[in-house]
Amino acid sequence: MNSTLVSRNVLLCAAAIFIASCGTATFTKSGSDATIESLRGFQLAFIDEFAVPGKKFNAAAFNAKVNEGNARFQQAIANDKFTARRPVFVDLKAVFDADAAHIKSKASRGKVTPALASEMKKNVNKTYDHALGR
Amino acid sequence: MPSGDKKKHKKPSRKKSELDSALDQVGDESAAAAMKEFQDLLGEAKGDTSELVRQNAEELERYLVLLKNREIDKEDFDYFVESQKRDLRVFIDTQPAQAQERAEKLTLHVLEIAATKVVPILIAMI
Repeated sequence: MNSTLVSRNVLLCAAAIFIASCGTATFTKSGSDATIESLRGFQLAFIDEFAVPGKKFNAAAFNAKVNEGNARFQQAIANDKFTARRPVFVDLKAVFDADAAHIKSKASRGKVTPALASEMKKNVNKTYDHALGR
Repeated sequence: MPSGDKKKHKKPSRKKSELDSALDQVGDESAAAAMKEFQDLLGEAKGDTSELVRQNAEELERYLVLLKNREIDKEDFDYFVESQKRDLRVFIDTQPAQAQERAEKLTLHVLEIAATKVVPILIAMI
């Protein structure tokens, strides 16, 4: 009788752990998705702010925003609980770095066109959709 | 009844794009051959079953048209092509070995021809 009770408790514990782990995985992934969406919003706003045709390039504001972006990406890489996503965050940071470098190069010479900003935003959305598995 | 000498794999005719019309104007024989190879590969990529291959071809065509219309410059074009290449390398590496060669031909190779042969001609035409 005691052994049946112990077996039942062991099974219940195992089931509870399994259910909890499923819930945690779902919660972790949705949290990770939210982080990716937040980074997407940041990167699109960055393009809107600095890839503007005819706008005078403000190096101090640009560098401050790049530093903010770096901190956000580093934090996402370090804190994300969904570890399978870590390489994705590293890739997204590389996209941000490359976009920032291109925008700096163009904006500092007054060579930003409306098509450049629009295509960059399309690319960002495509990359983030892929990162989210869409 | 069999169709005798008729070719069995006739390519479907497609409407000429803005890019096709520009590339058709190339007069030099060797350049025209390169343009023809590019147009054929791009057409094949646009009809591929893989969404990523199709998307890559459509984006490349859009960048070339933007370049031709001076809406972006060569720096921007090169930047977008490099971004595409980075995405595509990951995609190609995930394909089965037997599909990798075809995927590479319809993506990286098309981008390479565009950058090395098509762009100089388009820029000369501007």
